[in-house]
Amino acid sequence: MRELELYFGPQHLGMVGNFSITLNVEGDRIVKATANPGFLHRGFEKLMEQRTWIQNFPLVCRINVVEPDHMELIYAMAVEKLAGIEVPERAQFIRSIYLELARVGSHLFGLWAYANMLGFDTVANWAMYHRDLVLDLFEEITGGRVYHIYIWPGGVRRDFPKGFKDKIINTLHTIGSCVPDYDDTFFNNRIFYKRSKDIGKITHEEAKRMGAVGQVLRATGMKQDIRKIEPYAAYDQVDWEIPVRTGGDAYSRIWVVRDEMIESVRMILKLLDKMPEGEVYNKIPNPFKWNIPDNEAYVRCESSRGELGLYLVSNGENKPYRAHFRTPSYNHGLTILEKALENESIADVGNIMISLYITAPEIDR
Amino acid sequence: MNHTGTSLKENLLSYFDDILVEISDEHRLTISCKKDSVITILSSLNRNGYNHLALISCVDWIKDNELELVYIISAYTEDSEKGKMNILVKTKIAREKPELLTVMSIYENAEPYERELHELYGINFKGHPRLIPLLLEREYEIPPFRKDFDTRKYVQDVFDKIPFVEDKKGRK
Amino acid sequence: MDRNKLGKWLQSPGKMGQKYSLHALYFCTGCGIIEIPPTITARWDAERFGVIPVATPRQANLFLITGYVSVKTLRPIIRSYEQMPEPKFTVGFGSCPINGGMYWDSYNTIKHLDKYIPIDGWIAGCMPRPEAVFVAVTHLWTLIDKGMADGYKKYREDYHYYRENQEKILGKLEWPPLFSSKKM
Repeated sequence: MRELELYFGPQHLGMVGNFSITLNVEGDRIVKATANPGFLHRGFEKLMEQRTWIQNFPLVCRINVVEPDHMELIYAMAVEKLAGIEVPERAQFIRSIYLELARVGSHLFGLWAYANMLGFDTVANWAMYHRDLVLDLFEEITGGRVYHIYIWPGGVRRDFPKGFKDKIINTLHTIGSCVPDYDDTFFNNRIFYKRSKDIGKITHEEAKRMGAVGQVLRATGMKQDIRKIEPYAAYDQVDWEIPVRTGGDAYSRIWVVRDEMIESVRMILKLLDKMPEGEVYNKIPNPFKWNIPDNEAYVRCESSRGELGLYLVSNGENKPYRAHFRTPSYNHGLTILEKALENESIADVGNIMISLYITAPEIDR
Repeated sequence: MNHTGTSLKENLLSYFDDILVEISDEHRLTISCKKDSVITILSSLNRNGYNHLALISCVDWIKDNELELVYIISAYTEDSEKGKMNILVKTKIAREKPELLTVMSIYENAEPYERELHELYGINFKGHPRLIPLLLEREYEIPPFRKDFDTRKYVQDVFDKIPFVEDKKGRK
Repeated sequence: MDRNKLGKWLQSPGKMGQKYSLHALYFCTGCGIIEIPPTITARWDAERFGVIPVATPRQANLFLITGYVSVKTLRPIIRSYEQMPEPKFTVGFGSCPINGGMYWDSYNTIKHLDKYIPIDGWIAGCMPRPEAVFVAVTHLWTLIDKGMADGYKKYREDYHYYRENQEKILGKLEWPPLFSSKKM
């Protein structure tokens, strides 16, 4: 059969984000896939070198639009480590609650994309509505729906408003009470099973060899989570489980996402119970005259897509000398995607891409 | 000081003689080495179970006329002490015509990182199967992430010089 | 809302058709795309305003350029815009296509999108809320009514200027000119 070259994206309904893949196809089968990123490259790390330490906060949160809060956290953590700033206990709890809310929102967005791609429009509408409820909470604290700039070196910018705890609990109960509905219509649905079982399969060995993290790794049966390995914020204060599946295919990955979302909801409720009183930020020096001593730091956290790292170098000036983000989608989108697409059919490209949880802005930066 | 870090440090120092190992933080181990021994150090780390390449980064130290490559390695493990370790392998190369061997034979996911550094810093990775453009569309005289590339001047020279269509019509 | 005014419908049915059936092209050009799913799903429901996303540029008549435009994205944007049938309307969503926004000193983003394709309206802010899309849509209705949303006519008239600007950034374009040039 003759081999054809097919351009998939960036303007394509099955494509999430501004990303492109070149497919070599034989009939309906994909022989070879070549990822073609760069449509969203803004040169963030170069821009960060030209702005002061605090001016960088509006910039870093825009690296990944789906989960800007983890980007803020990782940058704040790196700055704290370089400058030696302590974070008060209450701020650590607020950070954890806030990040878990962001994770719930991000997973609901992923669920929207996946359900929409499979044609489950009802579930997609539910997921997007529930995400909006989470965004309403963010809006109440910070005033912004998408970008918040709430996490700050030395803590968070302000305390939770009065009665906010009850609002979080209410919202989580609304979302949690719909989980049986999600299960009935989507997760236990035969169509979902048939569309995703054994699609985009990655074995445990392959996943390790190609640098998989996050859901992609946990769907192959490995309990790896930076929140457990290297606890930051208040993740070591409460008990929680790492959800794991063993299939390694799209089906397992989406189930891991679902389990993680429920675990996050449980974790927020536990964190809210344990939250201590006190200050929410420590004072930082005058941002206009803030020089950070000559040093370097590598910090990492678990974003909703996997291990997120930041390598930050300072040379004693009021600006970073070099920043480099290690983003989870980078390996998923460039190394694993090419492997996972081989010998699959064209109809499953979107399926595999969304189940690998790829966001294009994270790859391009 | 943690046990895993110190034992790894002793282990490495017994095998290699021209390297500098320091435990900078609680779980951060920094290895500085010559550019020829990167491959052997990385493969010995890989054999010791540090099998996850998290990042390949590059810092342009323009005052010393050197580029510093940083390989950040961690481990896929459920052992908590080992899982915390992050190893930074550093090597310095000259800024003019920088060349280095690819580490793709050890860590398969190094491929896009090396492609990106080739594009943004102009480093030539020998043995890399496809050093084709990854992110950029236009060609730049100086690779854009080097310190001597001035983005503000570039924006003024390129984007700001393009006229608005209304202005053009008005002038004609 | 003047949906019930039958007389107006009968005066210019074509305009009414354009106004109330805006088919937005599904193209995620930048981070503004994060606010489009809420806009088109149950909570905000853009279909109340006749806005519905479509898959290909051949079906679309509204191009929402959501967020910053990198040099590499400019090429598919121009291609998609040229493939859309007339009449077509473009709306820049977010601060970045207006003047570069916070990427004003980035070497890889386009600063003023209206130098390369005509834009009928802008939605400022980062990120604009879903309501802002609806405000923009209702404003676009007024513009269509008054015949002021004429970007596609400008594109036809001044095509050689636009093409010149496009080629300055992207180099020689691989597709032939869309319109034959009048004075080049």
